[in-house]
Amino acid sequence: MTGDLTFPDVVQYAVPFFIAAILVELLWITLKGKGGRYETRDAVTSLIMGAGNVASGIALGFIAWGFFMVLWDVTPLDLGSSWWVVALCFVLDDLRYYWVHRFGHRIRWVWASHVNHHSSQHYNLTTALRQTWTYTFTFMMVVRAPLILLGFHPAMVLFVGGLNLIYQFWIHTEAIGKLPRWVEAIMNTPSHHRAHHGRNARYLDCNYAGVFIVWDKLFGTFVPELDEDRVDYGLVHNLGTFNPLRVAFHEWVGIFKDMTQRGLTLRERLMYAVAPPGWSHDGSRQTSEGIKASHLQRHPEDRGTPGFD
Amino acid sequence: MPLHILIILVVGGIGLIAVLTHLLGLSRPMRLTSEDEARSAWLRGWPEDTLTAIHIAPDGAAALIETDHGPGIVFSMGADSTAHRLDGAEIRETPGGLRILFHDFAAPRLDVALDPAARAHWQQILSERP
Repeated sequence: MTGDLTFPDVVQYAVPFFIAAILVELLWITLKGKGGRYETRDAVTSLIMGAGNVASGIALGFIAWGFFMVLWDVTPLDLGSSWWVVALCFVLDDLRYYWVHRFGHRIRWVWASHVNHHSSQHYNLTTALRQTWTYTFTFMMVVRAPLILLGFHPAMVLFVGGLNLIYQFWIHTEAIGKLPRWVEAIMNTPSHHRAHHGRNARYLDCNYAGVFIVWDKLFGTFVPELDEDRVDYGLVHNLGTFNPLRVAFHEWVGIFKDMTQRGLTLRERLMYAVAPPGWSHDGSRQTSEGIKASHLQRHPEDRGTPGFD
Repeated sequence: MPLHILIILVVGGIGLIAVLTHLLGLSRPMRLTSEDEARSAWLRGWPEDTLTAIHIAPDGAAALIETDHGPGIVFSMGADSTAHRLDGAEIRETPGGLRILFHDFAAPRLDVALDPAARAHWQQILSERP
């Protein structure tokens, strides 16, 4: 039914829209004097990371595509390409995104790829484009395997993944406050995603959703953005460079240095790659759980509030 | 989309946004103007530390922070700041001040502009690192 199915590369076609929207946001902030911040080097680094992401997709995309086509050859199922199949694929792929994103924050090997998206201390539309160059090396393409084995064509799976990415572009802004309650209840919004980008103890490891915030509510990772705890963007320990090469590879270098320390057991070396970010064999660093616990020691009044349940 | 069109769009878009942000005055770096600012900037990165002394560089681009966990540097990162401990860092004298090599891939080095008196003071503090 869908042997030679093709879909447009929607992310590439969205590039002119991305540029136009950034210019509009920049103009809005400049004229209104509110709604976010821009800084030249930060914005340029984010944009170069975005360009590198597209380039890495062109250069390395064949690996994931080859893997998906092997699965497509194996599976006896073919759901076709009617509109409801595309819609169902979009929803299931968003569930796939939730888990890949959650792994991206909880497994250091995957975090090494995703960390660069969080490395800006700003939160504007350029931040949305600060994307990984090394996703292929996380092997997270395996999380898409069930979709293809269920009979969704690989081209369709990549198409809806592209739509998911485009949806997430516009939520990287401070120019939009909170949306109507029903929207905030179902959809991932600028407010929910601002919380996700927070380095405040409260907001660590929350709101992994791509399009539908319901996944976070379902799996217990939802934290609302609170007026009384203004989001502080960036990493727990912020970078000291705007160099895109260092931004792209710093955590991989960190993993390598940690794994090759002298005197570690094999298990400890492995844990430096697969344990949550912040894990260390001697307890000298803090994971997000440790950071939250330390925060509660200093601020016991926050116990039981969102993010500290 | 043809590759050459994509490249033109991406390169042109980045260039346009870079020029525009610069012309709008958005390239101005953060400057530390008071001890309170330097303290807040440090505690943002290391909230559990107790600060014992703060030495702001004359141009405000960085500050040497003495803490109960040892000394560190908080410095300008564009419009924001970043705070780094100095465990394993190498300090070199330069004609205009000090060069700090963090030996960290994510924070390679920092040049701090210091007059000779301030440079000597910073070096004395840094030489007492454990």
